[in-house]
Amino acid sequence: MRNRLAILPLLIRMHVKSQMEYRGAFWLDRLAQIISYGAVLLILWILLQKFHQLGGWNWPELALLFSFQLLAYSLGASMSFTQLRELEELVRLGAIDTLLTKPVNTWAYLIFSGLNIGYVGHIILAIPVLVWALLAAQVEWSVGTALFFIFSLLSATMVTGALMTMIGATALIWVRSNHLFSIFFGFWELTRYPLGIFPTGLQVVMLTIVPLGYISSVPVAVLLGKPVPLLGDLAAPVTLLAGPCLVFIAIIHWRYALNRYQGAGG
Amino acid sequence: MTALIEARGVSKRFRQHKRFPGLLGAFKTLVTSEYTEVTAVSDISFDIAAGEAVGYLGPNGAGKSTMIKMMTGILVPSAGTLSVLGRTPHEQRMANARQIGVVFGQRSQLWWDLPVIDSFTLHQRIYDIPQARYADNLKRFSALLDLTPFLDRAVRQLSLGQRMRAEIVMSLLHDPKILFLDEPTIGLDVVAKDAVRKFLAEINRERGVTIILTTHDLQDIETICPRLIMVDHSRLIFDGELGRLRAALGSARRLTLEFSADPGPMALDSATLTADEGLRKHYLLEREDVSLVQILGEVGSDRGLKDVALHEPDIEEVIRTFYQRRNAAPVAP
Repeated sequence: MRNRLAILPLLIRMHVKSQMEYRGAFWLDRLAQIISYGAVLLILWILLQKFHQLGGWNWPELALLFSFQLLAYSLGASMSFTQLRELEELVRLGAIDTLLTKPVNTWAYLIFSGLNIGYVGHIILAIPVLVWALLAAQVEWSVGTALFFIFSLLSATMVTGALMTMIGATALIWVRSNHLFSIFFGFWELTRYPLGIFPTGLQVVMLTIVPLGYISSVPVAVLLGKPVPLLGDLAAPVTLLAGPCLVFIAIIHWRYALNRYQGAGG
Repeated sequence: MTALIEARGVSKRFRQHKRFPGLLGAFKTLVTSEYTEVTAVSDISFDIAAGEAVGYLGPNGAGKSTMIKMMTGILVPSAGTLSVLGRTPHEQRMANARQIGVVFGQRSQLWWDLPVIDSFTLHQRIYDIPQARYADNLKRFSALLDLTPFLDRAVRQLSLGQRMRAEIVMSLLHDPKILFLDEPTIGLDVVAKDAVRKFLAEINRERGVTIILTTHDLQDIETICPRLIMVDHSRLIFDGELGRLRAALGSARRLTLEFSADPGPMALDSATLTADEGLRKHYLLEREDVSLVQILGEVGSDRGLKDVALHEPDIEEVIRTFYQRRNAAPVAP
């Protein structure tokens, strides 16, 4: 087991080395990402200058929501998104077959050999905004809230990774999965805003079938002591459990999909 | 001798959504719940013993790759039992993987942007190969396949022949008991093909590595594999030595006679004239018992005969004849 884990850092090193073959393009791409997410934040700021509040949330609170979502997403997605989006291509071209003949955990190999360091751009933007927002917003700090902050961020990261794994794994059965990623990102855009501003039906969806509420709106609302629609007092435990539960479901789903794998032909 | 690989009535069926023709059909395909079953491998049984080299041959879509994928644990058989080194491959995929090597001719296992040696190092770590054994294998195989000049070059900068040589070396670094190769010479030039074939034949002979190889290139079989398993339309149609297939079919030999001056039309009792170029005449020897001496006697010494060439049927001809005759009378394995 120790030996098996020992190959993971080597996989990351090799992947980073591969990416650094195209160093210029890499940094240009990061700059583009910082600018594009910065623009989203700017629009939010402009809106708040005009309306002052959005669903009862002021500017620092919305900046906290934005940066928490961006950080949880980039941590979770760096360990899942590009790798699992590419799984569709690996299945279609049969390259996944070569992975299945290695004595390694297929998911771990896939994830660590493609760990997306490109998300460093998101993180560079998210952390300063998060630190400023945590200081500017009215958070009642205690050991409890500090622990909640850390573990809810961890849980949100797990939600992102688990959902992406489940979506990506469908490629093992249906060959195609990228349309499901489009649905994911459709809902994901909504998680930059407080859950309370959406109609009840949409709130239900975002807390159950597409549980993206737990990557930002629910944990940040709990942190700020704001009411969470539908969940009420259960919001804190539910958001902490959402990550581990979804990871568990994702593991089962991944194994199921791997057993159903038929190859793309040949 | 106990078998390393045992296949008993192995079948693989794929379920596919039924597809309908035309534009309307395309929409119908999207919503249909009807399935069609495609049988890729049908009731195949064979034993492969340690140290054998077996060519697995068949036309496109005959189920060759599917069989390889089942033996390597990638796919789960729909029926029958399959045992590789005493294990059921898909149930013990990881344990199986440690003792086999796999090369896919059309899919690379090397890291595209990194030097070849980096992929080898990762392979060493994944398979827990002790340093001394790794260094020894790397040195020996690299020398045999002339890898040393490009070990430090990025894979994307290699020619296809160089890349394939590297793929094969990597698949052997952990001393696998069985090496599966799916079309290893596809797309290679003559020199590279020759190097790969000689290397595989040597590995099989010297190290006793069992080789299972699918190919469309019959020269691969001729050089590497004394035994041939042929499949067509998912079924096994021949399992035995190439020589036996040749004998069973009794394919005709070809004879060319060259003269210093055109002797005019010349029919022979023991051979059929197939082409007459004047100075050079081509015949087909359909009977096994006709000897060259007999033919020379029939031609006589006064015709100005300059040269004689007798060609044994090559493997391509044997296989072609086999597929052509198969529907009429199958050859018993």
